[in-house]
Amino acid sequence: MENWPHWLVLVVMAPLVGAAVVPALSLRNRALAPWIALAVMSVTSLAALMLLVRVAREGLFSYVPGGWEVPYGIELRFDEFSAVIGIICLIGWLAVLFSVRYVEHMPNVVPDRIPYYYALLLLNMGGMIGFSVTGDLFNFFIFLEILSLSGYALVAISGERIAEMAAFKYLLMGAISSLSVLFAVGFIYGMTGTLNMADAASRLAGLDGSPAAPAVALGLMTVGFMVKAAIFPLHVWLPDAHAIAPSPVSAVLSGLVVKVGIIGVIRVQQIYQDSGVVDLAILNQLFVWLGAISIVVGAFFAIFQEDIKLMLAYSTISNIGYIVMGLGLASTYGVIGGSVHVFNHALIKAALFFAAGALIYRTGYRTLTDLRGVGKSMPLTCAALSIGAISIVGIPPTAGFLCKWYIALGAFEADQPFFGFALIFGALFIFIYYIRMVNAFYFLPPVRSEVVDAKEAPLSMLIPTLSLAALCLIMGLAGRIPLSFIEPAVMRLLNGAGG
Amino acid sequence: MEVMDIRPLLAPVVSFACAGMVFFYGSNRHWRHFWMLSAAITKMVIVLSMLPGSLRGTVYYYDVIDFTGGVGLGFRADALGMFFSLVSATLWVITTIYAIGYMGGDEKRIRFFGFFALCVSSTVGIAFANNLLTLFLFYEMLTICTYPLVIHKETPEALRAGRKYLAYTLIGGAFILIGSVMTLDAVGTLNLDRPGILNATVDPGSLALIFFLLIAGFGVKAAIMPIHGWLPTAMVAPTPVSALLHAVAVVKVGAFGILRTVYNVFGVDLLGDLGYTTPLAWLAAFTIIAASTIAIFQGNLKRRLAYSTISQLSYIVLGAAVLTPFAATAAIAHIANQAFAKITMFFVAGAIERTTGKTEIRELDGIGHRMPWTMGAFTVASLSFTGFPLFAGFITKWYLCLGSLEAGQWWFLGVMVASSLLNAAYFLPIVYLAFFKPLPHHEGRRDEESPRIHEARPSLLIPTLLCAAYVIVLGASADVPGMPFSLAKAAVQFVFGM
Repeated sequence: MENWPHWLVLVVMAPLVGAAVVPALSLRNRALAPWIALAVMSVTSLAALMLLVRVAREGLFSYVPGGWEVPYGIELRFDEFSAVIGIICLIGWLAVLFSVRYVEHMPNVVPDRIPYYYALLLLNMGGMIGFSVTGDLFNFFIFLEILSLSGYALVAISGERIAEMAAFKYLLMGAISSLSVLFAVGFIYGMTGTLNMADAASRLAGLDGSPAAPAVALGLMTVGFMVKAAIFPLHVWLPDAHAIAPSPVSAVLSGLVVKVGIIGVIRVQQIYQDSGVVDLAILNQLFVWLGAISIVVGAFFAIFQEDIKLMLAYSTISNIGYIVMGLGLASTYGVIGGSVHVFNHALIKAALFFAAGALIYRTGYRTLTDLRGVGKSMPLTCAALSIGAISIVGIPPTAGFLCKWYIALGAFEADQPFFGFALIFGALFIFIYYIRMVNAFYFLPPVRSEVVDAKEAPLSMLIPTLSLAALCLIMGLAGRIPLSFIEPAVMRLLNGAGG
Repeated sequence: MEVMDIRPLLAPVVSFACAGMVFFYGSNRHWRHFWMLSAAITKMVIVLSMLPGSLRGTVYYYDVIDFTGGVGLGFRADALGMFFSLVSATLWVITTIYAIGYMGGDEKRIRFFGFFALCVSSTVGIAFANNLLTLFLFYEMLTICTYPLVIHKETPEALRAGRKYLAYTLIGGAFILIGSVMTLDAVGTLNLDRPGILNATVDPGSLALIFFLLIAGFGVKAAIMPIHGWLPTAMVAPTPVSALLHAVAVVKVGAFGILRTVYNVFGVDLLGDLGYTTPLAWLAAFTIIAASTIAIFQGNLKRRLAYSTISQLSYIVLGAAVLTPFAATAAIAHIANQAFAKITMFFVAGAIERTTGKTEIRELDGIGHRMPWTMGAFTVASLSFTGFPLFAGFITKWYLCLGSLEAGQWWFLGVMVASSLLNAAYFLPIVYLAFFKPLPHHEGRRDEESPRIHEARPSLLIPTLLCAAYVIVLGASADVPGMPFSLAKAAVQFVFGM
């Protein structure tokens, strides 16, 4: 069944088409919108599952829509890094489920526009999935724009006081980054005359003349994706955007959308590693440093936040720092650790944002002081939040530990022990603010009566939150599966043997 | 002989399951007590059932899951691990009875007993850890599960103590993690199943760094000076927690980690060549003397006990650092000797506090007339620490002295003598106050001759007396076959390849 070739095109088209039909179908009955979106995500998830099974069985494969052969047609390529669509579908599905109750409650929301919210969410999913599986540089840019534009709108939709401001900041930075990616695509097309990634890689290798032009393209592309991934110093848009967005959207943005930047960086590395036209060592060293700085900066700012969602947003910057550091170390363990953290961080951060969203939904408060004592009134949500916190800090045997372990090993493997130390002590920093959170929820005297009297979150919120929290534990114990899954792709990336 | 057997896994799982039961079904007092006691006894039975095999030299192991691809979760009950788990399993039963009596009407009992069980689970997990990663896993779990116990009272003072505790132990944990990663990078394994995995082919700079990281990391919980600061502050916790922290779980785990580092990660031969243990031995000797000296000036009973603990723990570190078979025997045996004597003292302190409300030493005049059994137990423990023959503490001191002579480092004898004197100087005055001073007039005396006997309630008194009795048993019959001491000897033979 997994060999049916059209799964690959279905997984991209389903959410995009779904986005178009959801508002139309729910014109009469608004309440239908979430369930249609859920059905669309289910189809997408099924397709993603089939693709995952296939890539695990036979490795890399590709699909050419309409039978136009590469390099003339557009290619969809599915390799082990594309398996990130598995987590995109999982979290997307859960985010839709979570939204059912959450969006009704948002301030200033116009009920008639709720279907558009689901349309935007599906559009965002489709953009991310397409971005992860395309083998074509121009499609790469198109999907990047689809997911970015829907992202800006999803931030603005929340109706919070500074939502427009946050969305605008996000838009501004995002537009610059998209533009520089577009420039780079243009450069590569100009130099090689092709838009297919694998083809471009081999043609870049055959280029003679100065490596300046390929280097500029590489630089533009990297900067573009660094903005999307919110790597220091290009992270300034992230905290507000992620904290202001509706909580299910925050989970998607923080867990998935920033990872698009990472996937982009990996794709660019694949092209350039294969061609060998520019030495990537300098870039990698830059990544390692920026990763280390991101870890510390993210953790440092998170310590001073009172707003739980802002805290979680800053913690995303730290975790992206882990991933970039792992990739930059360019040693087997480091890259494996970094790649697996793309998955694991998505799980953990989505669990945390869902739990925070449930707290805000039930109590109406979002700062640590106001939320004191909520551990007694909403025990399950807070338990999920605590598991997520333990996991993101990297206490074994949770999902977060594995990546820390691997990236630290990678640092020693690459003979850069300093970064091993930076990573592990950076994690201690992160601990400080999660302890503040746990203290506030469980051990400090409550200040708000609404918090003390709050009911446990509704089932449509508990299911996503608890299942992700459980996955944080399971993926820690079953950590070998993603590690061995990603290993062939990492070996190919490091040895430059065909992206 | 190595046998695959699930019991080393079951032992931590039992307490883990117990914690789950307490959290979910703990609101009924009787069920809660039932779960606590039955789990404690089950665990004791599991550990004891491995004892005959262990004494014959059988090692039980069970590899659960390889979750990192290379190093995984694995349990292994070797002689050293058995010794430690036996101590903690025995003390869990006793402390549970005591805690049920002590906590009485406290409101947050479910949380207390749940995390209490988790702590014991982690401790046994550490005892049976097959590799450094498993050990680290349970080490961190212990840190986190102790935190709610330390801040149990939720006062600002307790929260401050909790923060301090976490700061110290988490930084220590980070050191251990880096040390483990470096070890794995250097030799490709983290298994603790042989006398030393590191070898001389590893770059000396890395070896020194690994030794520093691991010893400093474990040294935080073992409260070696100058990284002992968390321990006296953590005294704000309820007394059963202090007993658990300072006699069984937390501090012993640090000492146990140091033993594992010296014996199983580096190995005595390699360390003998490298000579890193000399500064460690001096640091331990300094801690023994300095902490005892500070203890003399503490007016609060629990604080005095805390500093005494810091001093006693360094006996274990010193024994490990001297690197001779006799010293190693002393180090391992002291895990039990200190545990039982110190827990007796904490039980006494808790019993006095619950019965009379007194916490300061100057208030204890004549308390022995009112609580003769309780203070009798205290006397036994004091004599043990002072190193009287036939008490457990004597065994440690005797072997430690033999070990120092064996290594030609006779000056540690001086440390022993000084420490014994200091121990006498801060414990015996309490015994004197209790038995030889009259009770103050306003307190419960009907007439001059017969002060009213008002003992602690049985659930507090019986565990105290049991521990005190065991101190004598450990001291008087150490070499009887089947006693834990033979496990210590077996461990030493394995470590030194004898």
